[in-house]
Amino acid sequence: MSNTALFEHFDRHAGGVDLKGGSTHYCPGCGHGLAHKFIGEAIVDLGIEDRTVMVSPVGCAVFLFYYFDTANTQAAHGRAPAVALGHKLAHPESIVISYQGDGDLASIGLAEIIHAAQLGMPISVIFINNTIYGMTGGQMAPTTLMGQPSTTAPQGRTAMQGQPMKVAEMIAGLEGVVYVERTALFDQRNRKKTQKAIKKAIRLQMEGRGFSMVEIISECPVHWKMTPEESEEHVKNVVVEAFPLGVVKDEEREPWIAPRVPKFDADSMVSALGATEEKPPRFCSEFPSHLDPVDIAIKFAGAGGDGAQTAAILLTQAAINEGFDSTDIPSYGPESRGGTSYADVHVAKDEGLSPAAPTPHVLLAFNAPSLEKFASSVAENGIVIYDTSVISAPPDFPVGVKAYGVPCGDVAVKLGNKVVKNIVALGALQEATQLLTDESILTVLRSVLRRKPNLIEINEKAYAEGVRHVRESEPSIV
Amino acid sequence: MVKYSAITLDRQLCKSCGRCVASCHKQAIAIGLEVNQRSGMIPYEIDYELCNHCGLCMSACPEPWAITEGGHDLENPAARVRPAKPAGIQARRIPLPDLEPLVLKGNHASAVGALLAGCRHVFGYPITPSTEGAELLASLLPELEGVFLQSCSEIATVNHMYGAGGAGVPTMTFTSSPGFTLMLEGISYMVGAEVPGVFINVMRPGPGLGYIGPEQSDIKLCARGLGHGNTHAIVLAPSSPQEMLDLTMLAFELSFKYRNPVIVAADGYLGQITGRVTLPAEMIQPGLPGWAVRGDAEHKNNLNSSILQDWVELEKHNEHISGKYRAMERDEQLSSEFHTDGAETLIVACNIPARMAKAAVETLRREGHRIGLFQPLTIWPFPIDALAKLLVHINHILVVEASDGQLENELRLALNKAEIEGTRFDHLRHMGGILPDDAEIVRKMHSIMGIYA
Repeated sequence: MSNTALFEHFDRHAGGVDLKGGSTHYCPGCGHGLAHKFIGEAIVDLGIEDRTVMVSPVGCAVFLFYYFDTANTQAAHGRAPAVALGHKLAHPESIVISYQGDGDLASIGLAEIIHAAQLGMPISVIFINNTIYGMTGGQMAPTTLMGQPSTTAPQGRTAMQGQPMKVAEMIAGLEGVVYVERTALFDQRNRKKTQKAIKKAIRLQMEGRGFSMVEIISECPVHWKMTPEESEEHVKNVVVEAFPLGVVKDEEREPWIAPRVPKFDADSMVSALGATEEKPPRFCSEFPSHLDPVDIAIKFAGAGGDGAQTAAILLTQAAINEGFDSTDIPSYGPESRGGTSYADVHVAKDEGLSPAAPTPHVLLAFNAPSLEKFASSVAENGIVIYDTSVISAPPDFPVGVKAYGVPCGDVAVKLGNKVVKNIVALGALQEATQLLTDESILTVLRSVLRRKPNLIEINEKAYAEGVRHVRESEPSIV
Repeated sequence: MVKYSAITLDRQLCKSCGRCVASCHKQAIAIGLEVNQRSGMIPYEIDYELCNHCGLCMSACPEPWAITEGGHDLENPAARVRPAKPAGIQARRIPLPDLEPLVLKGNHASAVGALLAGCRHVFGYPITPSTEGAELLASLLPELEGVFLQSCSEIATVNHMYGAGGAGVPTMTFTSSPGFTLMLEGISYMVGAEVPGVFINVMRPGPGLGYIGPEQSDIKLCARGLGHGNTHAIVLAPSSPQEMLDLTMLAFELSFKYRNPVIVAADGYLGQITGRVTLPAEMIQPGLPGWAVRGDAEHKNNLNSSILQDWVELEKHNEHISGKYRAMERDEQLSSEFHTDGAETLIVACNIPARMAKAAVETLRREGHRIGLFQPLTIWPFPIDALAKLLVHINHILVVEASDGQLENELRLALNKAEIEGTRFDHLRHMGGILPDDAEIVRKMHSIMGIYA
């Protein structure tokens, strides 16, 4: 059978001029060419020439795409498995073969190969281990044998450079891996095994079973400073001692990945976004210009867990439903719970501009430190609501500020759920400011709770209690 | 044992490694006697008296076409013919019903924009203050049969994008400054291989770990530092949740138009701010570009690669890419203006500082001062054409930004290249998570007007 998965003429190889149109760029005796041929044969045997995406690495095989008459992608050093996953996820019907050398896979690309293997997405990795960096000129690789000289360990690898990394065994230990075999190229028997292993690794991908890898011990006569024949002998007698050949993992696993067809219809989109054509009811007749002619700033301040953020977003949504512009910007302390939690809300007649509220018209404070921090920043004639359950002595306010003490926390506890204290506060805020209407806020509250209908009643009660407390109390006015 | 009719060892293609010798049980292969004049090697030769046509030498030879059945025609012209690239399928616009505005935070608005732009392949690594974008997509994509993959790092993220984008699908990520730095290598490869992809960089302060507040810390990186090589990408700078959605959608369109990454540079404040977002009248169903490396018959001949061995070819490739940059500079400048009519001083600001500046301009105009705002919506290319028109009458600029002059540097470089001279500069800068606020901008202008009155 002709190896039609390889180009008959390598016109990407320096334009295919002269002998480059028919020969690889590899040195005499190098194993890469054999691996290429065997992959090509497997692709042809499996009938996947049209489906295959080859991922070229960095290193000697960087020009893999010169040779494979398939779709090709060239990846950055170490990143081939990440690129391969991108291809597989974008088009699950494609057969993605990621090809890497030992420096590429086992050194700079260790994170990518391990996570790809652990993930278990069906891709096939062909890993060429020749115990050295070839393309850059014979430097030490993670796989370099103990005692083996290289340009960066000229006296030979010692304990100072650590032990050679056994990649096949390491990868086999990961959950997503169905098949790992280490093979060699030094004689006919082992070449046959390599051919079989490559075909199996690709077949497992076609069946959707999981991640597979073949580690091929390959000769590098030039950087080993040996003849091709000596190199074969070296693999046979020395290298396989450090890297034992054979199947390391071969697990039966049911195909698990089903290709998805992404949806692009308007109905699915509208449903996913929770969007609606239905106009929300409006209850406000005009912009609350008694607070400011065009733009009202409200600051919510408390500790994490006080519900300041929820209250702020409910008010923002209610204001937008009323046709006003509104923004909400949260500012948390270092911890999302227990630390400070502030939110600035603007309700604007036309367009809200600065989202910050350095001098709020309205301040809602859930604890003493928050009140202390922001009391003096409240705008002249502004309104403050604070929780008297936890604040006994309010600080001084600027001239004209109306301050309402409301026992938000105590009310919530009496209602049986302390988390609704922010809703008590929201009721109080609305009653004290007449910013929107009660129905504006309650409508949003009911809508937010539509999937937890049993919570609606207590929230409505909490809101009403907040309103009642303000209605029945006299504000302190500076 | 498989028998082959005519095993041929091509004397030109033999690299003389001798791997075939040991494979032959009949000792039929031996080193030849003369140097091949074309290869400069001494090829091996098969003694057909001894050869039993078993073919083992073929599977021992590392060269694909050196030992074959029937020989290899190196000069065969038909072998050089490649199929033409397929035409590709155009993206489709799908009408949406007249939907009520959503109330979304900036990061979510951008995520919704990505869905509406047809993105169903999202990769990401969590980093504050950008993560909500990825979280929303992780929750919504399964409903749309899309893919969200949490990568092992930002480096893996950008390479997933290189793969998926290279397969022709719209792909994106959310990240923030330290994560964006890690993606630069991959962005350089995407530029080189002409792979589209959208990066939402919700910028936060540095250097190093800095912290999680808002800063415009990566203007320099986005405009001038996208990894190694002659790289550029269009950099969009939204200033509201609405613009987060709109500019994210635009980013996908531009990314495919130019086969180049596009960056949406937001700031940490913008990621977190919630506001009203009007949905567009149409959503996008992506097409399939003819260049996609897809793994199907039609696109089989395609290659995504940024390596070119021939220096002349590599220069040509760079010139081709530079040609795209020139087109972007010519056609994709975007800006907005506020009260620039009759202005004597321009405030230049983008992202949230532009919003703050807008509020300041309102105040200053109410006070009777002739101040306007020029807001670049593209940081690269800098919208110099629109600015140049204003600078015919205005010669004073106040640059307001949350960085150490990174926007001002882009502005000054653009003015310099446009040979516009004589502009007087003032600036108001904050860093570390502090934003210039409207009151401070007003005070700054008061102080400047006192100086220059």
